[in-house]
Amino acid sequence: MNSRSDLGHVVVVGGGVGGVSTVGALRQGGYDGRVTLVDAGEFPYDRPPLSKDYLAGACSSTDLWLQSPAWFDDNRIELRTRTSVAALRTAEGALELDDGSRVAADRVVLATGGRAARPPLPGADGDLVHTLRTIEDADRLHKALVPGARLLVVGAGLIGAEVASTALDLGCDVVLVDPVDPPLVAALGTTIATWLHDLHTARGVRVVRAGVESLGQDGAVLTARFVGQPDAAEFDVAVLGVGMSPDTSLAVAAGIEVDRGVVVDPAQRTANPAVLAVGDATRVRRDGVLLPRTEHWEAAQHDGKRAAASILGVAPPAETAPWFWSDRHHRHVEAIGHLGAADQVVLRGTTDAPSFAVFGLHEGRVVAAAAVDDPTAVRAARRMVDRRLAVDPGALADPTTDLRRLLRG
Amino acid sequence: MSQGIRVASAEDIAEGEGITIGRDVAGTADDIALLKDDDGSIWALDNTCTHQTASLAEGWVEGGYVECPLHSSRFCLRNGEVDGLPATRDTVAHRVEVRDGEVYLFPGQTP
Repeated sequence: MNSRSDLGHVVVVGGGVGGVSTVGALRQGGYDGRVTLVDAGEFPYDRPPLSKDYLAGACSSTDLWLQSPAWFDDNRIELRTRTSVAALRTAEGALELDDGSRVAADRVVLATGGRAARPPLPGADGDLVHTLRTIEDADRLHKALVPGARLLVVGAGLIGAEVASTALDLGCDVVLVDPVDPPLVAALGTTIATWLHDLHTARGVRVVRAGVESLGQDGAVLTARFVGQPDAAEFDVAVLGVGMSPDTSLAVAAGIEVDRGVVVDPAQRTANPAVLAVGDATRVRRDGVLLPRTEHWEAAQHDGKRAAASILGVAPPAETAPWFWSDRHHRHVEAIGHLGAADQVVLRGTTDAPSFAVFGLHEGRVVAAAAVDDPTAVRAARRMVDRRLAVDPGALADPTTDLRRLLRG
Repeated sequence: MSQGIRVASAEDIAEGEGITIGRDVAGTADDIALLKDDDGSIWALDNTCTHQTASLAEGWVEGGYVECPLHSSRFCLRNGEVDGLPATRDTVAHRVEVRDGEVYLFPGQTP
């Protein structure tokens, strides 16, 4: 591994998993030059626990650190926390910080992530209406989730479902509202999406299939009107789990192409040779097609490794199918690949078993899988998808089939 | 303890998988994950992923690494070094010997 330092100062903007993965991969790739990570928060942390263990009060803020302070020291990553970047000045080889000072920067990697979306809904900005994206959001929400609190969760996607589950465990009285029933069909397939959504009701969450017309506040009481329901419902607190808005402001101001995400090529490069971008705020244009934002943890991690490879001019890590996990009601859910691309979906096991999975095939090859409490099925599926393996659907559907053996062919 | 503790037969563990040896048997702080790589070699690591609470014995073992069943951090079978987030801390590797098809664990000894 060649050590090199001739690329100058690399500045990564944003200390989420995408940013931390980028700086780590630069050092792993042998980069010996100056690397700085700028982040607005106290210390770079991991977001997935914010809706799970951290919101439940089961772990502390230091448990969320993406790397330890010693790791940043050992890897000679200069950390500029509680600092925001005000503007990119790439023509001058610099960027401008929020205090007006300038930092020399030969390469900039935008890992700016985004904010929780607030829908254009009357009352969505009320004091009792929360969103969940940052550790400060989680701290504030945790305080409101006292036993007996009447909680309205708007949106039954991944974050909404996780918050509903955590709040139920904290003793809250939870209503989960979403016009789509079940949500997440595209990601998990109908069988698992339906089973998971039904789990809310089985555990005592009241699920309402409706849109929200408006939110309001009457003293300390939050009122919500659902579409098609004449009476307003009363709550103590609400959480909006309706997606994120990418933070693209630095790219926009720098004249970099943005289309509901910073547009990058498959190597994470923008059209500005000094600027790359990774993570939730990006969209990849591949073969002329602008792909949707991925907004998943592992995708951001892989983006960081690819960005580092681009900067170092080395081959990027091998492509692998997209993967995510979620935890709700003490069940662990994972999915790999794109179930929407399948022309055949087979269920492995039964949904009343302790664990089960679905596999999606396209023209006989495995393209996706999703599973409840069966990580092995998903790890096997990842290898099948990555190797474009043709597999007998009957063998996949049989829970007694050893999936590792199928991989060996 | 120079002979190690006989903890399993090599054939008890399927290739690419692991089994758990209780801390009461191993005399260790954590349970031990006894893991068989896809080349048939057997390795021992502290069982609890350093990230949260998953059992590495339930992980996917391949190519010199075990992948955590919860969030897919990987640990080197030879030395316990973590390779990839979200875990950030190495785990502990223990020496293992296979004699006559029997697996002997040397808790606390570096492989």
